Amino acid sequence: MRNTSLWNRRTRLTLLIVLAATYLLAVFFWGLFIDPSEYGVHYENKLLAPSGQHLFGTDAMGRDMFKRCIKGLSNSLVIGLLASLVSSVVALIMGIASAVFGGFVDRFVNLCVDLCMGLPHLVLLILISCMAGRGTVGVTVAVALTHWPSLTRIVRQEVLQLRNTQYVLASRKMGKSYLTIALTHMVPHVLPAYLIGLILLFPHAIMHEASVTFLGFGLPKEMPAIGVILAESMNHITTGKWWMALFPGLMLLLAVVLFDLIGETLKKLWNPNSGNE
Amino acid sequence: MKKKSISLVLGASLVLSLAGCGQEVATDNNVTAAEQEATTDNNATAVEKETVSASEEAGDDSSESINVYIGGSIFDSSMDPVKGFMSYGYPFVNEALIQADTTSEYVADLATDWEVSEDALTYTFNLREGVTFSDGTPFTAEDVVFTYEEVQKNQANNENVDLTKLKSVEADGDYKVVFTLNECYSPFLDTVAMLQIVPSDSYNSETFDTAPIGTGAYKVAQYDTNQQIILQINDSYWGGTPDIEQVNIISMDQDTAYSNAVSGQLDVVMVGSTYINETIDSMTLHKLETMDVRNVSLPTLTEQVMKDSQGNEYNVGNNVTSDIAVRKALSIGINRQEIIDNAFNGEGKPAVNFTDNLPWASTDDYEDNQVDEAKKILEDAGWIDSDGDGIREKGDLKCSFDLIAPGNDEDRYKLATALAENAKNLGIEINVRNESWDVAVVEENTTPIVWGWGQFSPTVIYSTYDSEMFLEAQYANVTGYTNADCDAAIEKAFAASNQADANAAWKEAQAIGDSEYPYLYLVNIEHSYFVKDNLDISESTQIPHPHGHGSPIICNLKDWVLN
Repeated sequence: MRNTSLWNRRTRLTLLIVLAATYLLAVFFWGLFIDPSEYGVHYENKLLAPSGQHLFGTDAMGRDMFKRCIKGLSNSLVIGLLASLVSSVVALIMGIASAVFGGFVDRFVNLCVDLCMGLPHLVLLILISCMAGRGTVGVTVAVALTHWPSLTRIVRQEVLQLRNTQYVLASRKMGKSYLTIALTHMVPHVLPAYLIGLILLFPHAIMHEASVTFLGFGLPKEMPAIGVILAESMNHITTGKWWMALFPGLMLLLAVVLFDLIGETLKKLWNPNSGNE
Repeated sequence: MKKKSISLVLGASLVLSLAGCGQEVATDNNVTAAEQEATTDNNATAVEKETVSASEEAGDDSSESINVYIGGSIFDSSMDPVKGFMSYGYPFVNEALIQADTTSEYVADLATDWEVSEDALTYTFNLREGVTFSDGTPFTAEDVVFTYEEVQKNQANNENVDLTKLKSVEADGDYKVVFTLNECYSPFLDTVAMLQIVPSDSYNSETFDTAPIGTGAYKVAQYDTNQQIILQINDSYWGGTPDIEQVNIISMDQDTAYSNAVSGQLDVVMVGSTYINETIDSMTLHKLETMDVRNVSLPTLTEQVMKDSQGNEYNVGNNVTSDIAVRKALSIGINRQEIIDNAFNGEGKPAVNFTDNLPWASTDDYEDNQVDEAKKILEDAGWIDSDGDGIREKGDLKCSFDLIAPGNDEDRYKLATALAENAKNLGIEINVRNESWDVAVVEENTTPIVWGWGQFSPTVIYSTYDSEMFLEAQYANVTGYTNADCDAAIEKAFAASNQADANAAWKEAQAIGDSEYPYLYLVNIEHSYFVKDNLDISESTQIPHPHGHGSPIICNLKDWVLN
């Protein structure tokens, strides 16, 4: 039986994705082009509770928490984007190489993956961040370099399946190079799983950036970032300034949940059979 | 307990006494004890305390203990005086020969009196008799000689107490010690006050890290690394028995400490300016005077590469702050009170040099907030805002520099931000950066940094103004300030044979140095603590707190009284 209504499940899911993506893109671009004075210091507005003028209240320096959150989330998204790009390229190359070449290469890649996944992620992040000189550079490098293992595994699995299919074996026999096979036969097949994996990397990257920053190994204090805001709010939460922790925390949560939602929904749309697995 | 004990005493003579009355008497008694201590008449205090403790013993049935949070710095280092513990001068386990009083003058502690020879090369101290260490061994001249020689042998382990000018230390009988110096060194008394004496018989460089044995009012009963230090009364203390039997110094985060105080579990809690407008039931906020100033180093050289005496190359200088007009305009043009109100909720006092509670510190104060005058200085020097962005330029050079608020110190970051806001009025842009000390030290000769200075010893003038210190030590003369007259005045101060001459020379050095504004002094901070209402921290015997992020409140632990 076909559901011909305009509001079938597929349309609703697509709409959900569009809405979520719009929200995230809006935050991203608003933060990117916001005038720094909007979240600047205004000592006459110290520690105001949330109101129409300051949606999320203000902090001890009178900075508007709403604008700071937007800028902070936007900064997190930039780092998340960089991290996802780097991680995904690494994962794609390592995953395909591992599956196609097999043997030593496969074992080496697996070793790397196990090595990275074996260490507690946060410890690894702090280690790399400190080695790379902390600050913005440190945390970006750390987040970018530690999110590829799980995606590598997914790509490797997919390619392993493809490697023994008839058409791949045939084109190998016909003398096509490994590179041609990888680009023409493998990448298109791996792409959906890969893209979903990529989107699902975002929430991890953002969360990790925020945690490392919260612990003081990441973005510097002068930069608006959710981690910095939450760390600062710890000193005020005991004196009843609840808004400094609550709203930024919610914003972070919302962003993470939305990315997750987009990823999971895309998975359903692109690969409806996954529901039968 | 106090109530009970006093009631007992009163009960014997008056037959009938009301509990309320008893408490009043107890409080009066404490105040008297504190006031007498303030007169620094040690004998009278000892007698007074003896009577108090005698009456206490009559009705003592419960153990009194308090929990205090005084920041984390006490947990950071070894408790061994030989390695520099508490060398800013607030003894409670080990004691020095002399100590600073509330007016920053030196008074007797383990020494009873001392004499300086005409040529200022020989210092003779007469020691207090009848003093024993907490392990029962008597305190004699031998212990003093041992301590000083031990520090000299291990000078590398102790960066706070510098004994390189000490030629020899000798015992003359059991209760007299003679120090001989290589050359005139007027701050030697400061050094003596900074070094606390350890017992020659039982000193052990390892165990003293956590369990030092001393002559002070308290001894360490338990040491849990980064958790707590438990102090208990040293029964053989020469100065009478303190009122509080046990003091638990607890290590925790600032916000945890605050919430513990709110729930009534702490008797003393050090708080940053964030908390000073809060109220806690049955606790009162005490703002205590310090000698701790915050200033900003403004590199006086233009950008270049220079070599130190070992031939290592350093990038030094800053093209904006090297212009004296910028430095002067900032010093006279900013509004320090407004900065303090904005950054610290009004906690602290404006400062344009070291604090007046130090006998050697400059007292040449000047008006700030002279905005028009400052703008004129900048314009005369060619700093003009030609593109209308609110920041002045001189040619291609923007009047803009970075300012590092180092370490994990929220207050320095707030101060730096408030300064940056204030400097906007003058058309000077300051970009505040929070960096770890590792990064700050690398950039110390090129980038202005927010510093904290607070110490009894005037040697800080030498390390911050003398040209020979530039590039030779961390934190020392980071501005690259070079002035032969200033160096000569410092030389004169070191060589002075009496304190008055030395202080005059130190002031002269500061007058010369400050006329070129290598440092932008901002604030003389205050230390704020919430203290339980039934605890008397004897404010009249609190010394002006040296630099110490909150720990100096225990300087007079032995005078505290729990009602």
